[in-house]
Amino acid sequence: MVRAVPVWLRLAGVVFVVLTALVLLAPLIVVVGVSISESQFIAFPPNGLSLRWYEAVLSSDAYLGAGWISLQIAALVTVLATLVGGAAAIAIHRRQLPFSELLATAFLSPLVLPTIIYAIGMLMFWSAAFGTVTPMVLALSHTVIALPYVVRTTLAVLSEADPFLEEAARTMGANRLQRLWLVVVPQCLPGLAAGAFFAFNISFDEAVLSLFLRGPTLTTLPVQIYGQLEFSPDPSVAAVSTIMIALTIALIAIIERMLGLNRFASA
Amino acid sequence: MAKVRLHSIRKSFNKTGVLHGISLEIASGEFVSLLGASGCGKTTLLRIVAGLEGVTQGSVEIDGRDVTDLPPEKRDVAMMFQSYALLPHLSVAENVRFPLRMRRIGNRDEQAEKVRAALETVQLAHLAERKPRQLSGGQQQRVALARAIVSRPKVLLLDEPLSNLDARLREDMQVELIEMHQRLGLTTIFVTHDQEEALSLSDRIVLLNAGHIEQEGTPGQIYGQPATAFASNFIGSANLLPVQIVDGPDGPLARFGDGQDLALARDEPTRGAATVALRQEDLTLAETGSGPTVKVRTRVFLGARNRYVMTLAGQTIRALTGNDVDFADGQEVTLAIDPSRVRVIHE
Repeated sequence: MVRAVPVWLRLAGVVFVVLTALVLLAPLIVVVGVSISESQFIAFPPNGLSLRWYEAVLSSDAYLGAGWISLQIAALVTVLATLVGGAAAIAIHRRQLPFSELLATAFLSPLVLPTIIYAIGMLMFWSAAFGTVTPMVLALSHTVIALPYVVRTTLAVLSEADPFLEEAARTMGANRLQRLWLVVVPQCLPGLAAGAFFAFNISFDEAVLSLFLRGPTLTTLPVQIYGQLEFSPDPSVAAVSTIMIALTIALIAIIERMLGLNRFASA
Repeated sequence: MAKVRLHSIRKSFNKTGVLHGISLEIASGEFVSLLGASGCGKTTLLRIVAGLEGVTQGSVEIDGRDVTDLPPEKRDVAMMFQSYALLPHLSVAENVRFPLRMRRIGNRDEQAEKVRAALETVQLAHLAERKPRQLSGGQQQRVALARAIVSRPKVLLLDEPLSNLDARLREDMQVELIEMHQRLGLTTIFVTHDQEEALSLSDRIVLLNAGHIEQEGTPGQIYGQPATAFASNFIGSANLLPVQIVDGPDGPLARFGDGQDLALARDEPTRGAATVALRQEDLTLAETGSGPTVKVRTRVFLGARNRYVMTLAGQTIRALTGNDVDFADGQEVTLAIDPSRVRVIHE
C-alpha cells in the first residue's frame, strides 16, 4: 500500500513536514540565537557569543521580581485550578447534578471566550466593586482560564475508567469518603497531573489578563518582557525568553516522565 | 453464611416495571442461579440484594434482618461484577485486601494471611504484586473472585462472572466455582443467561421472564419438567409446535397442522388444542419409520454433533443428532421420539 504512493506526493509530504517544523521552531531558534549575542541590539544571526545577557537578567531586580511574582501566581493557579477543575470534572462525570450538561459547558466556556473580553470585564468589575487589583485577583482570573484544561484532561481519564469501580467499592464496605479518596481520585491522577501542568503553563506565560490587571507592584514576567521590548529593547528579552523556554521543556519532560511512569505502573 | 429472603419485590425505573413481585427464599449455603434472557430483570434483582438498587416495593432480608434500607457498604455481601471492577491502581494483593481494609477485619498480619489464602484458593498467589492490567482476562476474573470471598461475606453475588471468558476457560472456572462452593459453603446468588452454566452449577435455578419468576426448582426439575412453554423453550431450547390432541387406536395422538400424527404417552390426559415441546436432543431421524415425515432444510455441523433444521407442517423443527447421521438437504426423513419424552403444554 505504502509503495503505491507516487514519488512526487512523498516529496511533497516531506517538504510539508519540514516547512511546518520550520515555522514552529524558527522563532525559538531566533530567540535563543539572539540571547547569546555579544551585541547591544537585537540582531540575528548573533554577533559574537556571550552569556552577558543572561548575567544581566539574573542580576536585574525587575526581571527577578517579575519572575518571582509569576512563579508564585502560577503555583497558586496550579493548586486552585487542579482542585476546582478536578472536583468539577468528577461532579460532571457522575451526571447526577441537575443541569450537569450546562455546568460542563460553563466550565469549558473560557476556552472559547476571548480572553481580552474577560480581562476587560474583570478589571471593570473588580475596580468598581473592590478597588485595587491584588495578586490574588490575578491568580483567580488565571484560574478561570486554566480550568477548562484541568476539566477536560480529568474528564478524558474518567471516561476511560470502569464505571462499576465505585459500586464495587461500595459492596466492599467503602464509605463515601473512602470511595472518593481511594477509588475516584487515584483514577483521576493522570488527568489531574496533565491538567496541573497546563494550568501552570497557562498562568506562567499569560499576558493579556496580566497586562490589564497589572499594578505598580504586580508585574508578571510576560508583562515585564513586553515592557522591556517596548521601551528599551535589548537581548536580555531574548535571554529571559530562553529561560522560559527551558523551564517549559523541563516541565514537559518531568510530566511526561511522571505520567509515563504512572501509566507504566498501572499498565 | 446466611439465608436470604426476598419478599414481593417490585421495581420500576421511570414508571417502567422491571420486577413484578418477586418472592424468593434462599437457604443458608445454597447456590441459586437467576437465569433469564437479557432484560428479564435478573441483574436488577441481584443489585437489589447488594443494595446498589432500591426497591419500589417489597423487602430484602439477610440473615433474618431487614436490610431493605441499608446501603451496600453496610450489608455484609460481596459482589463480583461482569467487568470484574478491579481497582487499576492497586496491586492484586491490595485489591484482595480492600474489603478487609474497608470492613476492618483483622490487623495487618491477619489481613495479609487472609489475602494469601484467598489468592491460593484461586491459584494466583504468585501474581500478588502484579497490577490488574498485567493479567489475562481469566486471571483478572480469579482476582475478582478472590476479592469477593476473602471477607467470607454472608452472601456472595456473582453477576455473569464467566461471560467474558473463552469457552475452555469457562468450563475450568465452572468446576472451580463448584469446588469452591463446596469448600466454603457461601450462600451464593449467580446471575446468568447461559442455561448450561445454570444447570451445571446450581442447587436451584430460578427462571426469570419479563420481571416475574417463570419457574424455580432443581436443575433436574427445570430440565426434566419445564412447567411452561417459555421454560421448555429456554431450557434445552425445545421445539414448540401447536397440535390437536386426539384419540387414536393405540392411545392419544398429537396431530400436526398437516394431518400427521405423533404418538403420545398412553396416560396423557389432555385433549384438544395444545402445544408439544420436543427437545432437540430427544429427536431421532431415520429414512423410514412410523413417525411424522419432515423435510431437511439445512444441516449444521457442530463437531461432535449435527443439528438438522427441518420443516414440519410449515413450522421449523430442529434436531441434534450424532455427527454420523447423514441426510442431504431437501431429503424427507421420519422423526421418532420416545412418547414419554414429549411434553404437552396446554394453554
